[in-house]
Amino acid sequence: MKARTPAGDIADLMTMNLGPSHPATHGTLRIFTALDGERIVATACEMGYLHRGFEKMIEQGTYQQVLPYTDRLNYCSAMMNNIAFCKAAEGMFGVELPERCITVRIILTELSRIIDHLVCICTNLVDIGALTNFWYFFNRREDVYKIWEKLCGARLTNTVTRIGGMYRDVYPDFASDVRAVLPGIEEAVREVRGLIEHNKIFVDRTKDICIVTAEDAISWGWTGPCLRASGVDRDLRKDDPYYGYETYKFDTVIGTTGDTFDRIMTRIYEIGESVGIVHQALDRLKPGPINSTDARLMMPSRQQVYHDMEALINNFKLIYEGVRPPAGEYYDAFEAANGELGFWIVSDGGTNPYRIKVRPPCLTQYAAFGAMVEDELVADAAASLGSINIIAGELDR
Amino acid sequence: MSGAHHGDHSHGHAAPARPAIQPGLSKERLREILESRLAAKTDSRDLRGTTVIVARERLRDAVLLLRDESDLRFDQLLDISGVDYLAFPGHRGPRFAAVYLFKSTVFTHRITLKVEVDEDDASVPSIHDLFLFANWAERETWDQYGIVFVGHPNLKRLLNHHEFIGHPLRKDYPCQKRQKLSVNDPMIDQLEARLKQRGYTVLEHGVFEPGTPMTYHDKAGAAR
Repeated sequence: MKARTPAGDIADLMTMNLGPSHPATHGTLRIFTALDGERIVATACEMGYLHRGFEKMIEQGTYQQVLPYTDRLNYCSAMMNNIAFCKAAEGMFGVELPERCITVRIILTELSRIIDHLVCICTNLVDIGALTNFWYFFNRREDVYKIWEKLCGARLTNTVTRIGGMYRDVYPDFASDVRAVLPGIEEAVREVRGLIEHNKIFVDRTKDICIVTAEDAISWGWTGPCLRASGVDRDLRKDDPYYGYETYKFDTVIGTTGDTFDRIMTRIYEIGESVGIVHQALDRLKPGPINSTDARLMMPSRQQVYHDMEALINNFKLIYEGVRPPAGEYYDAFEAANGELGFWIVSDGGTNPYRIKVRPPCLTQYAAFGAMVEDELVADAAASLGSINIIAGELDR
Repeated sequence: MSGAHHGDHSHGHAAPARPAIQPGLSKERLREILESRLAAKTDSRDLRGTTVIVARERLRDAVLLLRDESDLRFDQLLDISGVDYLAFPGHRGPRFAAVYLFKSTVFTHRITLKVEVDEDDASVPSIHDLFLFANWAERETWDQYGIVFVGHPNLKRLLNHHEFIGHPLRKDYPCQKRQKLSVNDPMIDQLEARLKQRGYTVLEHGVFEPGTPMTYHDKAGAAR
């Protein structure tokens, strides 16, 4: 199309659709652009290609049945979503979890954060053409997936927690398996840093590209590593700690300019911090009960069911009806790999959720993407899209 | 809190360190401020006690107050949600509510604003100009609940297809209902509006063929 530019010249603009948009892929996005040469001058972004009606579906089942759906939000770190939802629901009940459950959840959360960052960074680097890093990171991710398999039988969609505890206790060698994968992860991070950090091609492609200032990042509602990359030192694990995160020693990683380089590097350095947290949590992992004994949430033992009338009734009620949080509304937030994952839950006191709104961290990032890539080159838009880690499962719900 | 800067590899102009996050005001104090200055009332449904209901005429004033007052500084709009109380046991009052979740990067306090609207006049003023994220958040709430955000520059559906009819999260929308949606959204209008916003004058419109409906064939080969 012909257009007069702000400088008064006549430009012949080309319109082009960007974005992963093969009908057979998941994670389809559409970024409709107007190009002046190779420069993007205007964008219009579309989403919703993976919209399944998550929030409508979960109103049809019970609270425990929400969990398999949460796996399919950010499917690169499914366990984190399970834990975040359970934490929100447990908050409504006001239930205290046993120490062992919390420690196991922290280990699973931080390992999930690590593999989420690994996927984000290495696919981002593939988009720039740095393929080698992909193998370094995906091999280490595979190590963690082997632990997931041993833990619950599933790799991608784990459904490993329950409201009130875990699906079951971890297997006997869990701690030693986790300890065994951590050095490999640290080694992979060292290798990838060695490949990219002072690599002229990588640095030229990412430094001062698609800058988001701290002020804009805040107004866009950004949270998590993308916000920190813009220099805003905010992390729920520090600012509003839960699960005793205040007792763990770790640093928040922050960037300086909020460019693509900072967003990638923030995640790379966060992997190291998470490895540190996992080590500390493993040291604290002591034998003990894994589940709460709250009768509103957890099934009584078989022994009790066969010998105690109340326990038998409790068993039936939990099977036929499910758990019943008190009537009311409740918002709870969790520092997920991508930022603040929140659940706003409306309960009418019944067994089905009346309304659950998911606050997906990557929606705010994608909302900003159009403005972020304007005045940048097409190739830089591709490099930058990876750095904000859009996961269509949670974006489109 | 110690920030592990990776700035040593970086550009030389390090951003000034932000002060550590402060506790902020108690929820009682927050409610008191909103009640006295904006005639808001505390929502007894919220189990945490951080939700206040404001009249829609006061919504923009409330958002500005929350954002700009030096001891409030709610500088992040986290999300906008809708809720339909049609099937809520014992509910009296307006059918819908728009729910605004705020947090701050300066203080740890949080607040939720709720605006109740009736079915026959389901509209609230838009705050797209106050928070960058509000534009999309309002589009999603319109899409899912049919609440109109008055003054929004581009109130299109966000999650659903543009041909979709109805608002799926309303309690009277059947969850098994299916709709056939086939024509792509050309989006050229949105792109041209954005060009205009950025100072371009479109002299010759883009040539595009609006999508034609696809033809589907059943097993016997007949088109339907």
